[in-house]
Amino acid sequence: MFGLVFVHLLFISIQVPRGDEPAYFERAVFAVFTPVQHGVASFFQGLKDFWQNYFYFRDLRRQNRALESEALKLRQENLALKNMLLKFRGAEEIQGLLSTLSRSVLVASVIGFDSNRIYNSIELNKGAADGVHKDMVVLDRKAHLVGRVVEPVSSKQARVQLITDGDSGVGVYSERFRVIGILQGDAKGKCILKYIVKTNREVTVGEEILTSGLDGIYPSGVPVGRILSIVTPETDLFKKIVVEPYFDLSDLDQVAVFTVDLRDLS
Amino acid sequence: MRRSTEVIAGLILAVVLQTVFGKISPSLLVVFNPFSWVVLYFGLTRQEVFGAVMGTVCGLLQDSLSLGVFGVGGLTKTLLGFGAGYISRKINVLSPGRTFVFVLIMAAAELVLWKFLVLFLFGERWSAAGGLVFLQPLFTAVFVTLLLQFKRKGGAEIP
Repeated sequence: MFGLVFVHLLFISIQVPRGDEPAYFERAVFAVFTPVQHGVASFFQGLKDFWQNYFYFRDLRRQNRALESEALKLRQENLALKNMLLKFRGAEEIQGLLSTLSRSVLVASVIGFDSNRIYNSIELNKGAADGVHKDMVVLDRKAHLVGRVVEPVSSKQARVQLITDGDSGVGVYSERFRVIGILQGDAKGKCILKYIVKTNREVTVGEEILTSGLDGIYPSGVPVGRILSIVTPETDLFKKIVVEPYFDLSDLDQVAVFTVDLRDLS
Repeated sequence: MRRSTEVIAGLILAVVLQTVFGKISPSLLVVFNPFSWVVLYFGLTRQEVFGAVMGTVCGLLQDSLSLGVFGVGGLTKTLLGFGAGYISRKINVLSPGRTFVFVLIMAAAELVLWKFLVLFLFGERWSAAGGLVFLQPLFTAVFVTLLLQFKRKGGAEIP
Protein backbone atom coordinates (compact mmCIF):
# COMPACT_ATOMS: atom_id res chain seq x y z
CA MET A 1 0.00 0.00 0.00
CA PHE A 2 2.74 2.46 1.01
CA GLY A 3 4.74 1.34 -2.02
CA LEU A 4 1.84 2.21 -4.32
CA VAL A 5 1.34 5.61 -2.68
CA PHE A 6 5.09 6.20 -3.04
CA VAL A 7 4.88 5.33 -6.76
CA HIS A 8 2.08 7.90 -7.23
CA LEU A 9 3.99 10.59 -5.37
CA LEU A 10 6.98 9.76 -7.59
CA PHE A 11 4.82 10.14 -10.71
CA ILE A 12 3.52 13.50 -9.49
CA SER A 13 7.02 14.69 -8.52
CA ILE A 14 8.78 13.79 -11.78
CA GLN A 15 6.37 16.01 -13.69
CA VAL A 16 7.57 19.16 -11.91
CA PRO A 17 10.90 19.65 -13.73
CA ARG A 18 9.41 18.43 -17.03
CA GLY A 19 6.85 21.25 -17.17
CA ASP A 20 3.86 20.39 -19.39
CA GLU A 21 5.58 17.43 -21.05
CA PRO A 22 3.72 14.21 -20.14
CA ALA A 23 5.55 11.40 -18.38
CA TYR A 24 6.67 8.44 -20.51
CA PHE A 25 4.32 6.19 -18.58
CA GLU A 26 1.40 8.51 -19.33
CA ARG A 27 2.33 8.47 -23.03
CA ALA A 28 2.46 4.65 -22.95
CA VAL A 29 -0.94 4.28 -21.23
CA PHE A 30 -2.43 6.86 -23.61
CA ALA A 31 -1.07 4.95 -26.63
CA VAL A 32 -2.39 1.60 -25.34
CA PHE A 33 -5.91 2.60 -24.29
CA THR A 34 -6.91 5.31 -26.75
CA PRO A 35 -7.29 2.71 -29.56
CA VAL A 36 -10.02 1.12 -27.37
CA GLN A 37 -11.74 4.51 -27.26
CA HIS A 38 -11.18 4.84 -31.00
CA GLY A 39 -12.88 1.47 -31.63
CA VAL A 40 -15.86 2.19 -29.37
CA ALA A 41 -16.29 5.69 -30.80
CA SER A 42 -16.17 4.32 -34.37
CA PHE A 43 -18.76 1.67 -33.49
CA PHE A 44 -21.08 4.31 -32.04
CA GLN A 45 -20.52 6.60 -35.00
CA GLY A 46 -21.43 3.68 -37.28
CA LEU A 47 -24.64 3.07 -35.33
CA LYS A 48 -25.48 6.76 -35.44
CA ASP A 49 -24.82 6.92 -39.19
CA PHE A 50 -26.99 3.83 -39.76
CA TRP A 51 -29.81 5.39 -37.75
CA GLN A 52 -29.58 8.67 -39.61
CA ASN A 53 -29.22 7.06 -43.05
CA TYR A 54 -32.15 4.73 -42.53
CA PHE A 55 -34.70 6.81 -40.66
CA TYR A 56 -33.94 10.20 -42.11
CA PHE A 57 -33.73 9.08 -45.72
CA ARG A 58 -36.97 10.85 -46.59
CA ASP A 59 -35.43 14.18 -45.59
CA LEU A 60 -32.56 13.64 -48.00
CA ARG A 61 -34.16 15.38 -50.98
CA ARG A 62 -35.00 18.50 -48.96
CA GLN A 63 -31.55 18.54 -47.37
CA ASN A 64 -29.94 18.05 -50.77
CA ARG A 65 -31.77 21.07 -52.18
CA ALA A 66 -30.79 23.19 -49.18
CA LEU A 67 -27.14 22.11 -49.52
CA GLU A 68 -27.16 22.80 -53.26
CA SER A 69 -28.36 26.34 -52.67
CA GLU A 70 -25.83 26.81 -49.85
CA ALA A 71 -23.02 25.50 -52.09
CA LEU A 72 -24.10 27.95 -54.80
CA LYS A 73 -23.97 30.83 -52.34
CA LEU A 74 -20.58 29.72 -51.02
CA ARG A 75 -19.19 29.39 -54.58
CA GLN A 76 -20.30 32.93 -55.32
CA GLU A 77 -18.83 34.17 -52.07
CA ASN A 78 -15.60 32.30 -52.77
CA LEU A 79 -15.39 33.83 -56.25
CA ALA A 80 -16.01 37.32 -54.91
CA LEU A 81 -13.34 36.86 -52.24
CA LYS A 82 -10.85 35.51 -54.79
CA ASN A 83 -11.47 38.54 -56.99
CA MET A 84 -10.99 40.83 -54.03
CA LEU A 85 -7.74 39.07 -53.12
CA LEU A 86 -6.46 39.42 -56.69
CA LYS A 87 -6.39 43.16 -56.17
CA PHE A 88 -3.86 42.75 -53.38
CA ARG A 89 -1.75 39.82 -54.53
CA GLY A 90 -0.72 38.07 -57.72
CA ALA A 91 -2.98 35.32 -59.16
CA GLU A 92 -0.33 32.60 -58.85
CA GLU A 93 0.39 33.50 -55.27
CA ILE A 94 -3.31 33.29 -54.39
CA GLN A 95 -3.77 29.98 -56.22
CA GLY A 96 -0.82 28.57 -54.28
CA LEU A 97 -2.21 29.89 -51.01
CA LEU A 98 -5.68 28.43 -51.62
CA SER A 99 -4.37 25.01 -52.68
CA THR A 100 -2.14 24.91 -49.57
CA LEU A 101 -5.14 25.79 -47.41
CA SER A 102 -7.38 23.11 -48.91
CA ARG A 103 -4.67 20.46 -48.39
CA SER A 104 -3.95 21.56 -44.84
CA VAL A 105 -7.37 20.90 -43.31
CA LEU A 106 -7.59 17.51 -41.63
CA VAL A 107 -11.03 16.39 -40.50
CA ALA A 108 -10.87 14.42 -37.24
CA SER A 109 -13.50 12.72 -35.09
CA VAL A 110 -13.71 13.28 -31.35
CA ILE A 111 -13.24 9.87 -29.70
CA GLY A 112 -13.11 10.89 -26.06
CA PHE A 113 -13.63 13.65 -23.56
CA ASP A 114 -11.51 14.46 -20.51
CA SER A 115 -12.21 11.82 -17.89
CA ASN A 116 -11.67 14.12 -14.91
CA ARG A 117 -12.75 17.58 -16.10
CA ILE A 118 -14.84 17.62 -19.27
CA TYR A 119 -14.10 21.23 -20.23
CA ASN A 120 -10.34 20.69 -20.29
CA SER A 121 -9.54 18.40 -23.21
CA ILE A 122 -10.77 16.04 -25.93
CA GLU A 123 -9.14 13.17 -27.81
CA LEU A 124 -9.05 12.91 -31.60
CA ASN A 125 -8.76 9.91 -33.92
CA LYS A 126 -5.84 11.47 -35.83
CA GLY A 127 -2.25 11.47 -34.64
CA ALA A 128 1.37 11.85 -35.62
CA ALA A 129 0.95 9.37 -38.51
CA ASP A 130 -1.62 11.74 -40.04
CA GLY A 131 0.67 14.74 -39.67
CA VAL A 132 -0.77 16.05 -36.40
CA HIS A 133 1.66 17.55 -33.93
CA LYS A 134 1.75 19.87 -30.92
CA ASP A 135 0.25 23.40 -31.14
CA MET A 136 -1.85 22.76 -34.26
CA VAL A 137 -5.04 24.82 -34.27
CA VAL A 138 -8.40 23.03 -33.96
CA LEU A 139 -11.70 24.53 -35.15
CA ASP A 140 -15.27 23.22 -35.05
CA ARG A 141 -17.60 22.68 -38.04
CA LYS A 142 -18.53 26.36 -38.15
CA ALA A 143 -14.86 27.45 -38.06
CA HIS A 144 -15.01 28.61 -34.43
CA LEU A 145 -11.95 28.15 -32.25
CA VAL A 146 -11.92 24.95 -30.16
CA GLY A 147 -8.33 24.73 -28.95
CA ARG A 148 -4.87 23.44 -29.83
CA VAL A 149 -3.16 20.07 -29.99
CA VAL A 150 -1.10 19.24 -26.89
CA GLU A 151 0.99 16.27 -25.77
CA PRO A 152 0.61 13.30 -25.73
CA VAL A 153 0.24 12.73 -29.47
CA SER A 154 0.38 9.03 -30.37
CA SER A 155 0.60 7.67 -33.91
CA LYS A 156 -3.18 7.53 -34.39
CA GLN A 157 -4.61 9.68 -31.57
CA ALA A 158 -4.01 13.17 -30.23
CA ARG A 159 -5.17 15.30 -27.33
CA VAL A 160 -6.59 18.81 -27.72
CA GLN A 161 -6.54 21.42 -24.97
CA LEU A 162 -9.87 23.28 -25.11
CA ILE A 163 -9.97 27.06 -24.77
CA THR A 164 -12.21 26.50 -21.71
CA ASP A 165 -9.36 24.77 -19.84
CA GLY A 166 -8.21 26.80 -16.84
CA ASP A 167 -4.59 26.67 -18.03
CA SER A 168 -5.26 27.76 -21.60
CA GLY A 169 -4.51 31.26 -22.87
CA VAL A 170 -5.51 32.84 -26.18
CA GLY A 171 -4.55 36.30 -27.45
CA VAL A 172 -7.81 37.99 -28.52
CA TYR A 173 -9.35 41.32 -29.48
CA SER A 174 -12.89 42.68 -29.42
CA GLU A 175 -14.69 43.10 -32.75
CA ARG A 176 -15.69 46.78 -32.64
CA PHE A 177 -12.80 48.75 -31.12
CA ARG A 178 -10.13 46.01 -31.29
CA VAL A 179 -9.42 46.08 -27.56
CA ILE A 180 -6.67 43.53 -26.97
CA GLY A 181 -6.77 41.05 -24.07
CA ILE A 182 -6.02 37.48 -23.05
CA LEU A 183 -8.73 34.86 -22.94
CA GLN A 184 -8.42 32.21 -20.25
CA GLY A 185 -10.73 29.26 -19.62
CA ASP A 186 -12.62 29.05 -16.33
CA ALA A 187 -12.81 25.20 -16.42
CA LYS A 188 -16.61 25.52 -16.22
CA GLY A 189 -17.39 25.88 -19.92
CA LYS A 190 -16.86 29.65 -20.15
CA CYS A 191 -13.83 31.90 -20.64
CA ILE A 192 -12.58 35.03 -18.88
CA LEU A 193 -11.28 38.00 -20.87
CA LYS A 194 -8.39 39.32 -18.80
CA TYR A 195 -6.39 42.50 -18.50
CA ILE A 196 -9.05 44.96 -19.67
CA VAL A 197 -8.67 47.96 -17.37
CA LYS A 198 -11.83 49.10 -15.61
CA THR A 199 -11.65 52.59 -17.14
CA ASN A 200 -12.07 51.06 -20.61
CA ARG A 201 -15.59 51.73 -21.94
CA GLU A 202 -15.10 50.30 -25.41
CA VAL A 203 -16.00 46.69 -24.59
CA THR A 204 -19.71 45.87 -24.50
CA VAL A 205 -21.91 42.87 -23.70
CA GLY A 206 -22.76 40.81 -26.80
CA GLU A 207 -19.64 41.86 -28.67
CA GLU A 208 -17.75 39.22 -30.66
CA ILE A 209 -14.26 38.16 -29.61
CA LEU A 210 -11.69 37.07 -32.21
CA THR A 211 -8.13 35.77 -32.00
CA SER A 212 -5.42 38.43 -32.28
CA GLY A 213 -2.54 36.15 -33.31
CA LEU A 214 -0.31 37.83 -30.72
CA ASP A 215 0.09 34.64 -28.68
CA GLY A 216 2.22 33.03 -31.39
CA ILE A 217 -0.03 29.95 -31.67
CA TYR A 218 -3.42 30.94 -33.05
CA PRO A 219 -3.82 32.85 -36.33
CA SER A 220 -5.52 36.23 -36.31
CA GLY A 221 -9.26 36.70 -36.94
CA VAL A 222 -10.71 33.34 -35.86
CA PRO A 223 -14.10 33.79 -34.08
CA VAL A 224 -13.89 32.62 -30.46
CA GLY A 225 -17.06 33.69 -28.68
CA ARG A 226 -19.29 36.48 -27.47
CA ILE A 227 -19.12 38.62 -24.31
CA LEU A 228 -21.70 37.36 -21.82
CA SER A 229 -21.24 39.74 -18.90
CA ILE A 230 -19.01 42.57 -17.70
CA VAL A 231 -18.45 43.38 -14.05
CA THR A 232 -16.42 46.40 -12.97
CA PRO A 233 -15.09 45.73 -9.47
CA GLU A 234 -14.38 48.62 -7.17
CA THR A 235 -11.15 47.30 -5.73
CA ASP A 236 -9.61 45.50 -8.72
CA LEU A 237 -7.72 47.19 -11.56
CA PHE A 238 -9.26 45.07 -14.31
CA LYS A 239 -12.83 44.33 -15.43
CA LYS A 240 -14.24 40.85 -14.96
CA ILE A 241 -15.45 39.88 -18.42
CA VAL A 242 -17.09 36.49 -19.05
CA VAL A 243 -17.05 35.18 -22.61
CA GLU A 244 -19.33 32.42 -23.91
CA PRO A 245 -17.32 30.34 -26.41
CA TYR A 246 -19.03 29.58 -29.73
CA PHE A 247 -18.14 25.89 -29.80
CA ASP A 248 -20.59 23.49 -28.19
CA LEU A 249 -19.03 20.55 -26.35
CA SER A 250 -22.09 18.34 -26.84
CA ASP A 251 -22.03 18.99 -30.61
CA LEU A 252 -18.34 18.31 -31.05
CA ASP A 253 -18.44 15.14 -33.18
CA GLN A 254 -16.00 16.30 -35.81
CA VAL A 255 -13.36 19.02 -35.83
CA ALA A 256 -10.90 20.49 -38.32
CA VAL A 257 -7.19 20.37 -37.53
CA PHE A 258 -4.98 22.79 -39.45
CA THR A 259 -1.78 20.95 -40.30
CA VAL A 260 0.02 24.10 -41.47
CA ASP A 261 0.85 27.19 -39.51
CA LEU A 262 -1.96 29.54 -40.52
CA ARG A 263 0.11 32.54 -39.50
CA ASP A 264 2.54 31.76 -42.33
CA LEU A 265 -0.31 32.01 -44.85
CA SER A 266 -1.77 35.29 -43.64
CA MET B 1 -5.81 -16.79 -14.95
CA ARG B 2 -9.45 -16.05 -14.10
CA ARG B 3 -8.41 -13.10 -11.96
CA SER B 4 -6.28 -11.63 -14.72
CA THR B 5 -9.14 -12.00 -17.18
CA GLU B 6 -11.52 -10.29 -14.75
CA VAL B 7 -9.08 -7.44 -14.19
CA ILE B 8 -8.51 -6.87 -17.92
CA ALA B 9 -12.24 -7.15 -18.61
CA GLY B 10 -12.93 -4.64 -15.82
CA LEU B 11 -10.41 -2.15 -17.23
CA ILE B 12 -11.65 -2.45 -20.80
CA LEU B 13 -15.26 -2.18 -19.63
CA ALA B 14 -14.42 1.02 -17.74
CA VAL B 15 -12.78 2.56 -20.84
CA VAL B 16 -15.68 1.44 -23.05
CA LEU B 17 -18.31 2.87 -20.67
CA GLN B 18 -16.30 6.08 -20.36
CA THR B 19 -16.27 6.45 -24.16
CA VAL B 20 -19.95 5.53 -24.53
CA PHE B 21 -21.04 8.06 -21.90
CA GLY B 22 -18.92 10.73 -23.59
CA LYS B 23 -20.49 9.93 -26.96
CA ILE B 24 -24.03 10.15 -25.56
CA SER B 25 -23.36 13.40 -23.69
CA PRO B 26 -20.12 14.74 -22.16
CA SER B 27 -22.11 15.82 -19.07
CA LEU B 28 -22.69 12.15 -18.22
CA LEU B 29 -18.96 11.83 -17.51
CA VAL B 30 -19.45 14.15 -14.56
CA VAL B 31 -22.15 11.94 -13.04
CA PHE B 32 -20.85 8.48 -13.95
CA ASN B 33 -17.32 7.40 -13.07
CA PRO B 34 -16.88 3.79 -14.32
CA PHE B 35 -13.27 3.67 -13.04
CA SER B 36 -14.53 4.15 -9.47
CA TRP B 37 -17.13 1.41 -10.00
CA VAL B 38 -14.39 -1.04 -11.01
CA VAL B 39 -12.13 -0.09 -8.07
CA LEU B 40 -14.93 -0.39 -5.50
CA TYR B 41 -16.15 -3.65 -6.98
CA PHE B 42 -12.72 -5.28 -6.77
CA GLY B 43 -11.99 -3.68 -3.40
CA LEU B 44 -15.18 -5.18 -1.92
CA THR B 45 -14.85 -8.59 -3.56
CA ARG B 46 -11.07 -9.12 -3.41
CA GLN B 47 -10.03 -7.18 -0.28
CA GLU B 48 -7.61 -4.34 0.28
CA VAL B 49 -4.41 -5.31 -1.55
CA PHE B 50 -6.21 -6.17 -4.76
CA GLY B 51 -8.38 -3.07 -4.34
CA ALA B 52 -5.30 -0.87 -3.96
CA VAL B 53 -3.66 -2.38 -7.06
CA MET B 54 -6.85 -1.92 -9.08
CA GLY B 55 -7.08 1.63 -7.74
CA THR B 56 -3.56 2.33 -8.99
CA VAL B 57 -4.23 0.88 -12.44
CA CYS B 58 -7.65 2.50 -12.90
CA GLY B 59 -6.52 5.85 -11.47
CA LEU B 60 -3.46 6.08 -13.72
CA LEU B 61 -5.54 5.02 -16.69
CA GLN B 62 -8.08 7.74 -15.91
CA ASP B 63 -5.26 10.27 -15.46
CA SER B 64 -3.80 9.35 -18.85
CA LEU B 65 -7.16 10.16 -20.47
CA SER B 66 -7.22 13.57 -18.84
CA LEU B 67 -5.28 16.83 -19.04
CA GLY B 68 -3.76 17.63 -15.67
CA VAL B 69 -1.27 16.34 -13.13
CA PHE B 70 -0.66 12.66 -13.83
CA GLY B 71 -0.95 10.58 -10.65
CA VAL B 72 -3.57 12.50 -8.66
CA GLY B 73 -6.42 10.21 -9.75
CA GLY B 74 -4.13 7.23 -9.22
CA LEU B 75 -3.37 8.29 -5.65
CA THR B 76 -7.01 8.84 -4.67
CA LYS B 77 -8.20 5.63 -6.30
CA THR B 78 -5.42 3.60 -4.64
CA LEU B 79 -6.59 4.90 -1.26
CA LEU B 80 -10.21 4.23 -2.27
CA GLY B 81 -9.50 0.61 -3.26
CA PHE B 82 -7.46 -0.03 -0.13
CA GLY B 83 -9.97 1.67 2.16
CA ALA B 84 -12.94 -0.13 0.64
CA GLY B 85 -11.25 -3.55 0.96
CA TYR B 86 -9.89 -2.97 4.46
CA ILE B 87 -13.01 -1.45 6.07
CA SER B 88 -15.39 -3.93 4.42
CA ARG B 89 -13.40 -6.72 6.10
CA LYS B 90 -13.90 -5.12 9.54
CA ILE B 91 -17.60 -4.31 9.33
CA ASN B 92 -20.62 -6.09 7.91
CA VAL B 93 -21.59 -4.63 4.54
CA LEU B 94 -23.36 -7.68 3.13
CA SER B 95 -26.95 -6.41 3.01
CA PRO B 96 -27.86 -4.17 0.05
CA GLY B 97 -28.69 -1.23 2.31
CA ARG B 98 -25.36 -1.42 4.13
CA THR B 99 -23.47 -1.88 0.86
CA PHE B 100 -25.20 1.19 -0.57
CA VAL B 101 -24.39 3.41 2.42
CA PHE B 102 -20.80 2.13 2.61
CA VAL B 103 -20.11 2.68 -1.10
CA LEU B 104 -21.78 6.11 -0.94
CA ILE B 105 -19.46 7.17 1.89
CA MET B 106 -16.37 5.77 0.16
CA ALA B 107 -17.21 7.43 -3.18
CA ALA B 108 -17.92 10.75 -1.44
CA ALA B 109 -14.60 10.47 0.44
CA GLU B 110 -12.77 9.84 -2.85
CA LEU B 111 -14.40 12.92 -4.41
CA VAL B 112 -13.48 15.10 -1.42
CA LEU B 113 -9.87 13.85 -1.41
CA TRP B 114 -9.51 14.34 -5.15
CA LYS B 115 -10.98 17.83 -4.94
CA PHE B 116 -8.64 18.67 -2.05
CA LEU B 117 -5.56 17.53 -3.99
CA VAL B 118 -6.62 19.33 -7.17
CA LEU B 119 -7.57 22.60 -5.51
CA PHE B 120 -5.14 23.05 -2.67
CA LEU B 121 -2.00 21.12 -3.58
CA PHE B 122 -1.85 21.69 -7.33
CA GLY B 123 -3.80 24.93 -7.65
CA GLU B 124 -5.82 23.59 -10.58
CA ARG B 125 -9.29 24.91 -11.34
CA TRP B 126 -12.17 22.57 -10.69
CA SER B 127 -15.76 22.69 -11.77
CA ALA B 128 -18.76 21.22 -9.99
CA ALA B 129 -20.62 21.31 -13.36
CA GLY B 130 -23.64 23.01 -11.84
CA GLY B 131 -23.70 20.60 -8.90
CA LEU B 132 -23.87 17.51 -11.12
CA VAL B 133 -20.61 16.18 -9.72
CA PHE B 134 -22.23 15.76 -6.29
CA LEU B 135 -24.50 13.13 -7.83
CA GLN B 136 -21.45 11.04 -8.70
CA PRO B 137 -21.18 9.26 -5.29
CA LEU B 138 -24.92 8.51 -5.41
CA PHE B 139 -24.78 6.89 -8.85
CA THR B 140 -21.56 5.08 -7.92
CA ALA B 141 -23.32 3.64 -4.85
CA VAL B 142 -26.35 2.56 -6.92
CA PHE B 143 -24.31 0.85 -9.63
CA VAL B 144 -21.80 -0.88 -7.35
CA THR B 145 -24.60 -2.11 -5.04
CA LEU B 146 -26.51 -3.51 -8.02
CA LEU B 147 -23.35 -5.12 -9.38
CA LEU B 148 -22.57 -6.76 -6.04
CA GLN B 149 -26.16 -7.96 -5.57
CA PHE B 150 -26.05 -9.43 -9.05
CA LYS B 151 -22.82 -11.25 -8.21
CA ARG B 152 -24.17 -12.45 -4.85
CA LYS B 153 -27.34 -13.81 -6.42
CA GLY B 154 -25.14 -15.51 -8.99
CA GLY B 155 -23.76 -17.61 -6.12
CA ALA B 156 -20.26 -16.17 -5.97
CA GLU B 157 -18.62 -15.87 -2.61
CA ILE B 158 -18.11 -12.42 -1.11
CA PRO B 159 -15.79 -12.11 1.86
